[in-house]
Amino acid sequence: MNKLLEFKNVKLTYQTKKNETIALENLSFSVFEEEFVSIVGPSGCGKTTILSLIASLIKPTSGSVLLCGQPVKNKTSSMVGYMFQRDNLFDWRTVFKNVCLGLSIQHKLKSPYIEKSRSLLEKYGLKDFENYYPTQLSGGMRQRVALIRTLATDPKLLLLDEPFSAVDFQTRLLVQDDVSYIIKSERKTAILVTHDISEAVSLSDRVLILTKRPAKIKCIKSLDFNKSLTPFQRRSDPKFSKYFNEIWEELKSEE
Amino acid sequence: MKNKKFFSAEHKKYLRKTRLNRLLISLGRWSVLLFIIGLWELSAQLALIDPYITSSPSRVAKTIIAWAKDGSLWLHSWTTLYETLIAFAISIGLGSLLAILLYLFTPVRKIFEPYLVVLNSLPKIALGPLLIVWVGAGTKAIVLMGILICIIITTMSMLQSFVAIPQEKILLLKTLGANRFQVLFKLILPHAIPDFISVLKINVGMAWVGTIMGEYLVSQAGLGYLINYGGLVFNLDTVMSGIVVLCILASLMYFSVATLEHYIHKKRNL
Ligand SMILES: Nc1ncnc2c1ncn2[C@@H]1O[C@H](COP(=O)(O)OP(=O)(O)OP(=O)(O)O)[C@@H](O)[C@H]1O
Ligand SMILES: [Mg+2]
Repeated sequence: MNKLLEFKNVKLTYQTKKNETIALENLSFSVFEEEFVSIVGPSGCGKTTILSLIASLIKPTSGSVLLCGQPVKNKTSSMVGYMFQRDNLFDWRTVFKNVCLGLSIQHKLKSPYIEKSRSLLEKYGLKDFENYYPTQLSGGMRQRVALIRTLATDPKLLLLDEPFSAVDFQTRLLVQDDVSYIIKSERKTAILVTHDISEAVSLSDRVLILTKRPAKIKCIKSLDFNKSLTPFQRRSDPKFSKYFNEIWEELKSEE
Repeated sequence: MKNKKFFSAEHKKYLRKTRLNRLLISLGRWSVLLFIIGLWELSAQLALIDPYITSSPSRVAKTIIAWAKDGSLWLHSWTTLYETLIAFAISIGLGSLLAILLYLFTPVRKIFEPYLVVLNSLPKIALGPLLIVWVGAGTKAIVLMGILICIIITTMSMLQSFVAIPQEKILLLKTLGANRFQVLFKLILPHAIPDFISVLKINVGMAWVGTIMGEYLVSQAGLGYLINYGGLVFNLDTVMSGIVVLCILASLMYFSVATLEHYIHKKRNL
């Protein structure tokens, strides 16, 4: 498998008037193509910072962040799709226009891309809602629209920052299945930041556990589930609670 | 099936109730108006109040009809309406443009913020004499007075609206590769439209304040001139009639903005 993303000895300090915060120090890890990696760690340890670096919203203080072997910069941003905790749909745009937001910014409102967006909407059960406004959708549907908006520009790497924490538990289980299915069938690589260990275990191939701030890799768990299991089915697999407990122990020793 | 029928009967009842409610409210509104006019007229007729000081609805009506006949109604209304509309349009346009520029260039905004705040708290009428000296005692001074009153509040409100936009939405656009003009046109401006409409509504009132104030200071025509003049010569019929015409014009303008708001809301499905 090819390396898609690599962090090499990354350090990041935030400067503020009062003090400087070292968010990441000496952080190194890699993510491979078509892999689903989750990042868990104590609150405020620097998880969002990692995603911001990949999306090149901020620059590393030292070290390098490589995407396909190249340092990330604004130009590479079309290779990365970022999904936030809130869906951030624009209320004044219809579902279809929301999905096309990235295309219109990247001047790609042309034939192959538009068809692709249409087919994504159709494939994932939102075709009949194309001309609806976000306020007319349920929380789970909104989250799916946000994901399709992220996919529409065809990024290689998806960054998901606690995208399921804003929806209720039952919807979350359903959306996790949906999202996992969509990401797998579109053959995307994904990095998921979460506080929810069971979410990390049910969705990922590997889980990166971070230390307290400044974040370093504390350990990496490879999860070895049967490939055909959906996230929901994983929850009743005997290995699920084993992994859950292992990760829980690691995190507890960090608190 | 039975359930559904039950529901729809319930629903009909609900609809009937809301319709009735609406009817009662508008009935109430008109009654208040009629009551005030009736009471005013009656007190004047029964000499409970002195119509020489308070005028009366019939006198107001007579005055307005007389004005309409000799053409002065149109002259004065048009003069004031014209000044107000120009002041309104210029302040909204220029004020919003200023807000956009200040938003785009943060250091400039930081530099000018305290000046805006001070200008906003300054009673603009104090600048009246200056305006007259600078641009002459005429329409220009009146329109400028209107602009002074409206533009600062427009700029400040729009700027506030721009700054209040959720940071995460801006980040989203940046991750999609947007430059700041795209952020402006795809997010900031559409997001600010509801606030823009509130600014329009506030400024309908403000623009009238500005021009009437301006007309009190300097004018040969206009409703402000009429009202002021009526007061000076102690002709309260003129004062009251001027105010009534002013009320009608101001509410017409307000309703145009409200109609625009309704249209935009419908279009954006709000
Ligand atoms: N723009 C900023 N300026 C200054 N400090 C910041 C900034 N953003 C984050 N920090 C600090 O950097 C540290 C890491 O922040 P980050 O948002 O990456 O944490 P996180 O792991 O995502 O937290 P959470 O689990 O609460 O989402 C925190 O201590 C935070 O206070
Ligand atoms: Mg975070």
